[in-house]
Amino acid sequence: MAHSSLLADLVELNEVLDADSAVDLEQRKQRDRAIGIDSQRYRNRPAAQVRAWLQQYRVTTAHENGLRSVRLYHLLCLVLVIAGLLAGWGLARTVLSYDGRQPINIVNAVVVLVLPQILLLLLWLLAMLPARLPLFSRTGAMPGFLNPGRLAAHLATVFGAKGRRGLSMLWDPEQAAILAPAARWLFSFWSQLFAFSFNVGALAAAFFLVTFSDLAFVWSTTLSISNEAFHQLLVSLSVPWSGLAPDAVPGLDLVAGSRYYRLDEGSLAGTAVLSPRQALELGQWWPFLIAAISTYGLLPRLLTLVISWYRLRFHLRKALCNLPGAPELLARMNSPLITTLAAEPEQAFAPATDHTARTPGNTHYALRCPVIHWSGVCGYPDEISRRLEAMGIEALDFLRAGGRQTTAQDIDLVTSLCKQKPQGIGILVKSWEPPLLDFLDFLRALRRECSAKTPLVILLWSGEDTVRAADLETWQATLAQLGDPDLHVEAVGQAA
Amino acid sequence: MSAPVFAIVGHPNKGKSSIVSTLSQDESVAISPLPGTTVDIRRYPMTVDGEVLYELIDTPGFQRARAALEWMRGHAGSAVERSDTVRRFVDEHRHDSLFSAECSLLEPVLAGAGILYVVDGSRPFGEEYEAEMEILRWTGQPSMALINMISDADYSADWNKALGQYFRIVRVFDAMTADFERRVQLLLAFGELREEWRGALEKAVHILREEQARRHTLAARVIAETLARTLTHVRSRRLTADEDMATARDTLLQEYKQDLVAMEQHCRDEVEQIYNHRKLERHEPRALLLDEDLFSQQTWRLFGLTRRQLVATGALGGAAAGSVIDLAVHGASLLLGSGLGAVAGGVSAWLTAERIANVRMLGHALGGKELSVGPMRNLNFPYVVLGRALLHWRMIEQRTHAYRGPLELTPRPEQVQLIDATTRRRFEKRFSRLRKRDNRRADLVASLALLIEQI
Repeated sequence: MAHSSLLADLVELNEVLDADSAVDLEQRKQRDRAIGIDSQRYRNRPAAQVRAWLQQYRVTTAHENGLRSVRLYHLLCLVLVIAGLLAGWGLARTVLSYDGRQPINIVNAVVVLVLPQILLLLLWLLAMLPARLPLFSRTGAMPGFLNPGRLAAHLATVFGAKGRRGLSMLWDPEQAAILAPAARWLFSFWSQLFAFSFNVGALAAAFFLVTFSDLAFVWSTTLSISNEAFHQLLVSLSVPWSGLAPDAVPGLDLVAGSRYYRLDEGSLAGTAVLSPRQALELGQWWPFLIAAISTYGLLPRLLTLVISWYRLRFHLRKALCNLPGAPELLARMNSPLITTLAAEPEQAFAPATDHTARTPGNTHYALRCPVIHWSGVCGYPDEISRRLEAMGIEALDFLRAGGRQTTAQDIDLVTSLCKQKPQGIGILVKSWEPPLLDFLDFLRALRRECSAKTPLVILLWSGEDTVRAADLETWQATLAQLGDPDLHVEAVGQAA
Repeated sequence: MSAPVFAIVGHPNKGKSSIVSTLSQDESVAISPLPGTTVDIRRYPMTVDGEVLYELIDTPGFQRARAALEWMRGHAGSAVERSDTVRRFVDEHRHDSLFSAECSLLEPVLAGAGILYVVDGSRPFGEEYEAEMEILRWTGQPSMALINMISDADYSADWNKALGQYFRIVRVFDAMTADFERRVQLLLAFGELREEWRGALEKAVHILREEQARRHTLAARVIAETLARTLTHVRSRRLTADEDMATARDTLLQEYKQDLVAMEQHCRDEVEQIYNHRKLERHEPRALLLDEDLFSQQTWRLFGLTRRQLVATGALGGAAAGSVIDLAVHGASLLLGSGLGAVAGGVSAWLTAERIANVRMLGHALGGKELSVGPMRNLNFPYVVLGRALLHWRMIEQRTHAYRGPLELTPRPEQVQLIDATTRRRFEKRFSRLRKRDNRRADLVASLALLIEQI
């Protein structure tokens, strides 16, 4: 898969994860696990898993920023290739220009076209040393200004999307801690692309000149270097290609024949005028020049270009898994989806809003009435009587209903009680037990059998404790559903 | 074999829904003091990638148990017919509003669900419970009684005696405070009801334990990520030509603080979501959030380092930097580099204890000026963020889904988790690298998360 699509994925993932953090986690868990199961074949390849996730995510969302970033990236690559070709072509044309008067100094040509490249290659090696080594992290940054990759980054910042939304996210300071290695290799890739194109341009120019013009090469020195010594140096330089292209290794005759002496008024050693054969021989340096540029310029740059491409891919993949939110995404994709939540929404419960059964506290009733123990309220009758009297209720009799009594017994009690036409009826209940429909049935029966105006006083009993406000509230709210204006709810107070 | 199903039944308002809410970790369960809040059954299956391991069913409470039992007694000839009589009762009253609660709760039991009968152990036993317990006995289904302790009083001994006559297994369980281990122990206890259910429940518990561990790891990672973000955050803005520098500086600093507060809030939201707490209300004075919360003096006193710890931490960083010189001269400096570095680091930490972050004025490449705040330089800050995050995390981890009160985030001194000197050194090493924007951020966050997990 091309690294340009990796780059697009990285830009998009960064954007998508940012937005996705606002989505409910449960939804994310369900969605991501489903995608995780679908992409089981990538199980041990986290970057591939993240990309598979993004692929599914894209179905529902636009992904223009990634494509735009890749377009910009390709454009910058093209600009660098063209710039490299032109620079290489231009420099080679300049160095190899020959108007028939002054032959080309082969040493100059090699020094200009090959030596700087070797030096720049050494700088590249220095820049690519591991940044984690404290000393190298500084030295590595030093040759940055020489890097055409950084120039491309400046162009991308000027022409691309701003901040973290485009290609420039790679060198955005906020993201530097995650994306710096990828950015470093992107710059390296760009610079090596330029350098490779430069060498192609230089070689193309050299071939062009060799093919379509008549070049003459010489060599010269101020030092007392013998032809043999210079030849030996050239043989050493030619070692890499001597096996493959022996014709590109200059012979001693060529070296001796092309030595240039200024004192001889610009003539070659011992020769006043060049014969056609000699002129032809002077052109025989070109295989050496081509081989030198190819070996010391083109091939190393091809190698560094491939290394940069490979490392860029590696770090882009790594960055995909390290973006904020990506490790969590992978965890969601690879963990079983466990749910313990309700399978369906709860039916709405509408509490009663009519609170007619509510009565203010501290009411004095002045009632003489029977009191029914509902469901076996515990307590001594004397104690209960005393506390009811404090509320103005004199208990004429204590009766039982609910609990172990049968519903038939309850009905009999209601019938006999109402026949006596009591002033009111007190019903003692446990304050902590909520009023059930069973109890509401009993109240309805009482109201049916007794006079509509007979006060029914529900007495909340809490033994030695004070009735809790929440319990009183519960009783009041529930009994309000009956809509009975003569139904009262009272908390039985503490003994004085 | 089908997955075990458990019906949570009982008297209204005795905590059935609370128990379901706690066991299912579902805060959507309606819990109210009013009887009849649960109007129909609701199913809570535990599924793993779609496979159901067990199912809990929340049911409405008994409303007319006496009348229902009277009907059943009137229609059952002998003990052999009791289960069929209950079935007949449900069949005949399914559409009768009088017994809708009883039919709803008995239906899943008659379909084979195990019975989990819930009572409130903090209130005395009463005779009104006998009818419902008798009906459940008549169903003939395996059953267990759960004594839920809703308030402080303890009547569990009386309840044990009464329940023991109807149920083979009786357990005490506090739905409001039960921690994770108690919850899974209760699930395992459900396996005692029927031998063939044990395997599924053991598997469920194993998976729940793994999930809990995953949550723990995930929450630690969220906190580590927040620490990294807050430490490395930078806010910058281009200045207009006529803008007052001091005002712009104050505004930007305030915005920078707001960013950090937002990051902390986001971290809390994430941690709460990890533990399925989505509707949580936090008690924090919103209006005072900036100056009285994350950056308040009280907060820094509680969660931050003391001056002494601060100096020690600064000295540690300085010594590490100075040791580079010692290493470079192969120790010929007699550790002078480390010593001087430690002194410089300590003094610097002392002097800059109150400073939040660097405020810098930068020349812009295309002209004009840019004001920039951050990254965080204060040595104390990450410890404040960490301390607060740990407190919040611990509260969330311990909180059951039945508890509906707000989360009180006003820290009390005893709640603050102290970090020992060794751990602090480990943290400082990572904080220091993050401050320097070390390229290995992902590794640093992972190792920070590991440290947080181990606290």
